[in-house]
Amino acid sequence: MIQLFHVSKYFDRRPAVSDINLEIGKGEFVLLMGPSGAGKTTLLKLLFCAETPDEGQILVNNRNVARLTASQVPALRRKMGLVFQDFRLLPNRTVAENVALPLMIQGTSAFETRRKVTEALKAVGLEHRKESRPGVLSAGEQQRACIARAIINSPIILLGDEPTGNLDPDLAAEIIELFKTINARGTTVMIATHNREVMQQVSQRVVTLNQGRVASDLGGVG
Amino acid sequence: MRRLVYVVREALTNVRYNRTTTLVAVATTAFTLACLGIFVLLYFNLKGITGSLKGDIKVIIYLQDGLTSQSQADLQHRIKNEREVASLTYVSKEQALADFRKQFPSEQHLLQGLGENPLPVSLVVTLAPEFGSAESVKHWAERMRAIPGVAQVQYSQEWIEYLNQLIRYLELGAVIVGGILSAASVAIIASTIRLALYARRDEIEILRLIGAGRIFIRIPYLLEGAVLGAAGGALSLAMLRAGFEYVSHRAGMPGRLVGVESALSFFPAQMSTLMVFGGLLLGFAGSFVSLIELGRARS
Repeated sequence: MIQLFHVSKYFDRRPAVSDINLEIGKGEFVLLMGPSGAGKTTLLKLLFCAETPDEGQILVNNRNVARLTASQVPALRRKMGLVFQDFRLLPNRTVAENVALPLMIQGTSAFETRRKVTEALKAVGLEHRKESRPGVLSAGEQQRACIARAIINSPIILLGDEPTGNLDPDLAAEIIELFKTINARGTTVMIATHNREVMQQVSQRVVTLNQGRVASDLGGVG
Repeated sequence: MRRLVYVVREALTNVRYNRTTTLVAVATTAFTLACLGIFVLLYFNLKGITGSLKGDIKVIIYLQDGLTSQSQADLQHRIKNEREVASLTYVSKEQALADFRKQFPSEQHLLQGLGENPLPVSLVVTLAPEFGSAESVKHWAERMRAIPGVAQVQYSQEWIEYLNQLIRYLELGAVIVGGILSAASVAIIASTIRLALYARRDEIEILRLIGAGRIFIRIPYLLEGAVLGAAGGALSLAMLRAGFEYVSHRAGMPGRLVGVESALSFFPAQMSTLMVFGGLLLGFAGSFVSLIELGRARS
């Protein structure tokens, strides 16, 4: 599903990620661990084309994303779900409108949109908050709304950049459970985090980055 | 269809959220277009006046005092038979005095104390349109001046030449001022859209991240610019109309120029539509300019 071959990215001539080789199969759940500045966010940005690699090749769903033109990037992103630490919800829209945005972009019919929004909100347990604005939601609820938006298009890959960073341990555990449920349906999930408790909870493959390089790639922890 | 509804709704939301900047942009665009409109309005009216003068060139031939009725009749007959003459009206001394009193009721004291009627007999000649060029009118008037019994010949051709020259200057002025003001309008609207883009940069970023394409992101802003421009164009039209009514009412200009029956007129409907459409295009161009920067980013 995701393959990285000798990928490097430099900012001001300093490597953010350096010579990364990684292969992630379909349906895998991968935790990307490492301290702040290890290159986790840069690696995710390379995957969803917010950055282009200075060296190496990246294949996502058999497409070389490094060679995508600006007009080809949106199509790739529509196959991905992105979850961020700061949620990135539109404050002036309701939860339902926020969740519906990816469908709106694709011109999905109103009936189909309503059906999928209800389904996605149900999956994250946020049906009762669909008419609320993000500002009145708790952090956990906002992250659930963000996840609902990410999964509404049934993405092949779900990427999370510190999705539990703003949450207390209990809420973080709930959110990770959600990711696990989504992964169980066949979606490839990759989460960048520095939270070791998450690692305990997931017990899946853990790739650790340090100073932009892969320090370890373990199949799972007990 | 859903996408179209979405982008139109976004454009209107942009206008609503940035109410102050929107109003400033519309007002500034309106003033800018109104300045340009003044030039165009002047140009249109002068062109119309010149056209009506050309189609109705009148030459007034004043006869010498003391000519007998027979001499006056001979002169009238001779001039009427000229091939350049379309029509001829004889104006007696009494008629001239009556006309003067009618046209200038407050200036009657000028004639008091003069005793005898000082106004001369005149022949008002309308020339055929095919002899309406400056050269042929001038040549014909000189020929009439040389006829014994003719005291003076007056015609409106000098005015036409003067107006033609003025129109040429106005054309040049309109092109230069129009160019500068149009660029100013584009810059103003571009700044407004840039502010809107800045205010909604987070939203644009989110849309990009969830897979919105360039067109989907840009169309609301292009529409917003077009709406601002069109609103500015319509407002400028209203301002021009009000100004036009004020000036024509205060100055009482219609009919003042010799030989011009309807001197001033406002833009025809097509021209008014064109002004609003011009505003719309300028607004669109302004948005386009501001969106160029947005297009440089890949993410």
